[in-house]
Amino acid sequence: MTTLSDNITARPTRPYAPGNAAAPGGSATTAPPLLAVRDVRISDRVADRDIVHGVSFELTPGRTVGIVGESGSGKTLTCRAALGILPPHFEIGAGSIEIDGTDTATLTAADWTALRGATISAVFQDPASYLNPSIRVGAQIAEVVRVKKGLGRREARHRAVELLHAVHLREPELVYGQYTHELSGGMLQRVLIATAIAADPRILIADEATTALDVTVQAEILDLLADLRERAGLALVVVSHDLAVVSQLCDEVLVMRQGHVVERGPTRTVLHEPRHEYTRLLIAEHEQYGLDKFLAKEDA
Amino acid sequence: MVRRVLALTTGRIAVAILTLVALLAVLGPLLAPQDPLATSDTMLAAASGDHWLGTDYLGRDVFSRLLDGSRVSVLGSLEVALTALLVGAVPGILSVYLGRGFEWITLRLADTLVALPFLLFAVAVIALLGNGITQAMLVTGVLVSPLFYRVARAATLAVARSPYVEAALISGASLGWVVRRHVWVKVLPPIAVALAQTIGVGFVIVSSLTFLGIGVQPPAPTWGGLLASDLGYLSHRPWAPLTPALLIMVTVWGSNLLADAIRDVSGEAGRALVNQRRARANRPDKADPAPAGGTR
Amino acid sequence: MTKSAPSTITTVSAGRRGVAMARTRHALGRVLAALARSIAIFVPVFVVATFVTFALRSLSGLSPARIQLGEEATPEAIARVEAQWGLDRPFLVQYWDWFSGVLHGQLGASWTNGADISTLIGLGLGVSLSVATLALVIGVVVGFALGTLAAVRRTTWIDRTITGFVTVVSVMPAFVVGIVLVAVFAVGLHLFPSAGYVPAEQGIGPWLAHITLPALALSFDVIADVARQLRSSLIAAYRENYVTGALVRGLSPRRIFFGHVLRNGLGPTLATLGLKFPALVGASVITEWIFGLQGFGRFANDSAQAGDVPAVQGVLVVSIVLVVAFNLIVNLLLARVTPAAQRGV
Repeated sequence: MTTLSDNITARPTRPYAPGNAAAPGGSATTAPPLLAVRDVRISDRVADRDIVHGVSFELTPGRTVGIVGESGSGKTLTCRAALGILPPHFEIGAGSIEIDGTDTATLTAADWTALRGATISAVFQDPASYLNPSIRVGAQIAEVVRVKKGLGRREARHRAVELLHAVHLREPELVYGQYTHELSGGMLQRVLIATAIAADPRILIADEATTALDVTVQAEILDLLADLRERAGLALVVVSHDLAVVSQLCDEVLVMRQGHVVERGPTRTVLHEPRHEYTRLLIAEHEQYGLDKFLAKEDA
Repeated sequence: MVRRVLALTTGRIAVAILTLVALLAVLGPLLAPQDPLATSDTMLAAASGDHWLGTDYLGRDVFSRLLDGSRVSVLGSLEVALTALLVGAVPGILSVYLGRGFEWITLRLADTLVALPFLLFAVAVIALLGNGITQAMLVTGVLVSPLFYRVARAATLAVARSPYVEAALISGASLGWVVRRHVWVKVLPPIAVALAQTIGVGFVIVSSLTFLGIGVQPPAPTWGGLLASDLGYLSHRPWAPLTPALLIMVTVWGSNLLADAIRDVSGEAGRALVNQRRARANRPDKADPAPAGGTR
Repeated sequence: MTKSAPSTITTVSAGRRGVAMARTRHALGRVLAALARSIAIFVPVFVVATFVTFALRSLSGLSPARIQLGEEATPEAIARVEAQWGLDRPFLVQYWDWFSGVLHGQLGASWTNGADISTLIGLGLGVSLSVATLALVIGVVVGFALGTLAAVRRTTWIDRTITGFVTVVSVMPAFVVGIVLVAVFAVGLHLFPSAGYVPAEQGIGPWLAHITLPALALSFDVIADVARQLRSSLIAAYRENYVTGALVRGLSPRRIFFGHVLRNGLGPTLATLGLKFPALVGASVITEWIFGLQGFGRFANDSAQAGDVPAVQGVLVVSIVLVVAFNLIVNLLLARVTPAAQRGV
């Protein structure tokens, strides 16, 4: 098993993106936000009702925003809006999303294609399903590198192996040639992260990325995300229904319920001095059933 | 199930077509205005008041031959379907219960029958075993039976492994009772679908065989035989094949529609579909396939 | 390896050779496993099918004596002829003899004229295979185009038109299509010859002209099946999460379609093609009759009508070999295209 200390001592294999190195520590900077979500409302055109009623947050390099809430609270839709992949007949009714200073409303389909992967990328729950089952996982990473970075076949392959190594997979050469059904859940999530960061994005959205994993694997993935944030100055959006995940990684937290942001603030404040009834409920529940956090700590 | 099928437009069309064809088969020979075998001097005549669809190369009335031939074609396809049902479904259901040996043998047999080019086989077997429409249909039925075997076996497997059947068996219900009470209910809809499909397939096969002149004695009219005799005189009567061809196609289409309709309405999803279609007043269809990503 | 720590460089490069070899072995293993699985399915199929084929003679009660001597032969003469053909031996011995002959490509001699059946079938096989291959090509190309177009433009009028067209095509039996084609293109427009065959050696043009109509007649069924299956499996593949995954990686819709969706939609379509092939071979009986081709379908029909049992058995064996070989290829392609679907089958 890869231990936590391994993760931390592993050296960076990716060059720092220029201009991102400013905030590895995470102290509040005055840098312009990479991702700015301003009072976004998402509506279902068919049912003709709002699903998300105004979400706002800003994200600078090296920082992490967490979105917590139960399923159906609108957190995934918010992420999809930021990625430009809202399901059909959902649309942004009001508000704006800016990625690296560009209002996404002005983007064409081709612009979106250029932006995704290279500037903003995402990983999801159930990583196996987000990888093509019929293509070797390494080839899928190499494809991203080839398309987005214009590398040749051989270089792309080399780079893909490096990326597999960077997400702390042992025997990256072997993993390169395997199919999704030959890998475990934790390994798949690492592979998915490798595909997501293959084109050096500056924003990574992790939508329930650790949800279906074992507790120990979950902790490793969270460490990996933290590690990537430190090394490459990634800006992270962590979406989870699990407070423990969010508290471990995030600087700022949004608590969502039924499409409303019920509480927003620095992680510490929200966790220790919750103002909203629902946040208190979440915390109380977590204290009651939160054995996983306890165990994770024991393990570490 | 019948009522639910009829609730669908496609189901109603299918049932209407098949009923019409069935009536044709039953009453056709009686309705024929002239003797389908009687030759006359007006050969290869065009359609007229006397001969609605003209006459063939021996001066026989095509319309009468069409009506008279419908019985052989329709009964033939029914024979094919029922034989296939019997030969396929029974071992299919039993294969789940009668142990591994039986299962292995029947599975291999089903594999083999699927791999046989069945028209070629049907032609060979029927010609060698004696030229008769009944033998022809029995052989064809056996050749298409793997469909039923697979369908029945899959449905039975799904039921047999389900907890409620196990519970019934544990609580002391007899095997026969469980089969009647639980298995049959689940197995029936897919078998009905397969039956409707097979009637269509059987229709094509019967027409193909009679087209080749296999399984019928020459003067007796069949739809396939009509087409075969038209083939030689296309330059005189280019439109002649149209009516029998259309009849065959519409019948096959009706069977396929029926199969689709039964598939649509059977099971939980089917019930929901019917309800949804009824309830759909002004709401757009939510079952639209979701294109991945909003950029397209 | 630009910035890797020293320790990882050594482990990676030391391991690379071994891993590369392991990967090659792995890939080879997959192909071999798929091959072994297919053979495990097809060997029993072949044995059972040939057995059934051989049993036809006993079931039919036909004998070369009747054909050669006529109806008024004496029992002694019949017995003599049957002994000559080896028909007085036990059934299983006869089967084994015949089966080992089949394995060596010897299909025996015709009852009617004593000619070598392998040679006779070989003469017709070129015709039948030309037609079947062209039909397959037309069916796959057209079906592929229609299915893809319908899936990409799903729920539009294009999709509905294609679906309607495919429904019409699917209910047209090969002989109906054949007759219509003859009526329109040969008799009506004189564009193609209505019957006969010219081998490819005597010119590609005439060869194509003679096999186009029969191939078209056969291909309708393939078009319908391929288009329908491809449409539904492509639409199903489009709903998969890996499409979203590829999208957020910034791959273009075109690349996603050709690189990811098509590949996974192809699996079920290939399988359908494998199931369709026996029907294609079987339907040659019909098309060769309509278009006056001397292929093996026609040969089977004529031999069957004449009661020439060994000839019929020969054709059936050849057709079974064709089907099994085609499905073997399909299975290997499937193992290559959708490796995930192969596990645990």
